[in-house]
Amino acid sequence: MDDLNFRRTIYADPYTKDPEILEAAKSDPKKQAFWDEVRMMEASLEQAMNVPVPEGLADKLILRQSMDDFQQQKKRRPWYLALAASVFLASILSVSLLMQGPTDLKSDVYAHMSHMSYELNKSGKVDLAMVNDKLATYNGQVNEGIGEIVSANYCYLDSIKSLHLIIKGKDGLASLFVMPSEISKTIDDDFSNDVYTGSAFLLESAKIIIVGETSAQVEELKAKAKTLLSFSI
Amino acid sequence: MLGNKNKVSSVSTDMMTKQRRYEALVKALHADIFRYAVWLIKDRAIAEDVVQETFLRAWKSLDSLQDETAAKSWLITILRRENARRFERKQFDLVDIDDVSVADPVAPSDGNIENRDLRRAIALLSEEYREPLVMQVIMGFSGDEIAEQLNLNKNTVMTRLFRARSQIKEIMTKDKEFGAQSNG
Repeated sequence: MDDLNFRRTIYADPYTKDPEILEAAKSDPKKQAFWDEVRMMEASLEQAMNVPVPEGLADKLILRQSMDDFQQQKKRRPWYLALAASVFLASILSVSLLMQGPTDLKSDVYAHMSHMSYELNKSGKVDLAMVNDKLATYNGQVNEGIGEIVSANYCYLDSIKSLHLIIKGKDGLASLFVMPSEISKTIDDDFSNDVYTGSAFLLESAKIIIVGETSAQVEELKAKAKTLLSFSI
Repeated sequence: MLGNKNKVSSVSTDMMTKQRRYEALVKALHADIFRYAVWLIKDRAIAEDVVQETFLRAWKSLDSLQDETAAKSWLITILRRENARRFERKQFDLVDIDDVSVADPVAPSDGNIENRDLRRAIALLSEEYREPLVMQVIMGFSGDEIAEQLNLNKNTVMTRLFRARSQIKEIMTKDKEFGAQSNG
């Protein structure tokens, strides 16, 4: 192997394992000396290239990846999912708000009417003093003569605490509900369904709702209530 | 339900395995990759940025690395791509590092004059000679591996390696002569 070829190969790869190079070096001390010199230079080159690495670089690389991963995970929860959830929640809220209103109060009244038998069984005899006790909640008072009060119980009409009086009139049982006027929801002045008929009116600071099976019943109790019930403001 | 739970736990096991693989990769190779970047870019700060981008990309596509023994060339491929991207990005505000006077852009002075002179000599090489040399010396790549990485044939690579060392030798010899003259 000629000198130039030997040098080129050694310079291109100082650690070559080329058998021809090894053989040439073995047989020619000059070549071997050249190779040794190149290897020494190579060692210096390695040392020079081995520049110091910034302290904590490995930790930084690992931390950066974890942070990026965290960001990715946050991003992976898409924005439209949040939007959809908000819209869904908003629609549920508005629907339930819209559902409330006069119809709800009316249906609550009807519901209480159909449970009247339960109300009747719940309490024993009711005297006027007891009724006045309960009416006091609404700053109300009832005088003698309204008829036989067979039941006086608090109940919730459209989530407003009300007093439900069941009064025996000429034509049977009718109901009278008392609730604070300022918080009572609007209800039609006169309303009815297949079974019941009712009337609602303001009496001083109270809202009165009277419900019976016939309009005669309602009218009779309404007239009595207007004269015998009073609510101080 | 049970199958689902198993699936979830296998996913998180995969994540943990991936995390461990990544950390092992960082610990084993970050120093060499950083040094490679320094010699490619000739600026420590920019090199560190590019290394960060490189490892972030590596994490994202870690699943594509099937064979750990190929990790070095895989990372170098990513790094070279990231570095090229840097040029695309900063095409207009790129400052040529050769024009900037930085005391020692590749390494802080360690008081070793031979190291300093050699580093200057390596930095003076053109990139086509410097890059294969760094691949060989720092990364331990064979001629074939360098050829594959740089998309050259092996003979070209060997010629460039020969010229790289010749030029370094030349620069160092000139330095010595100049030093001798000025001392004498």
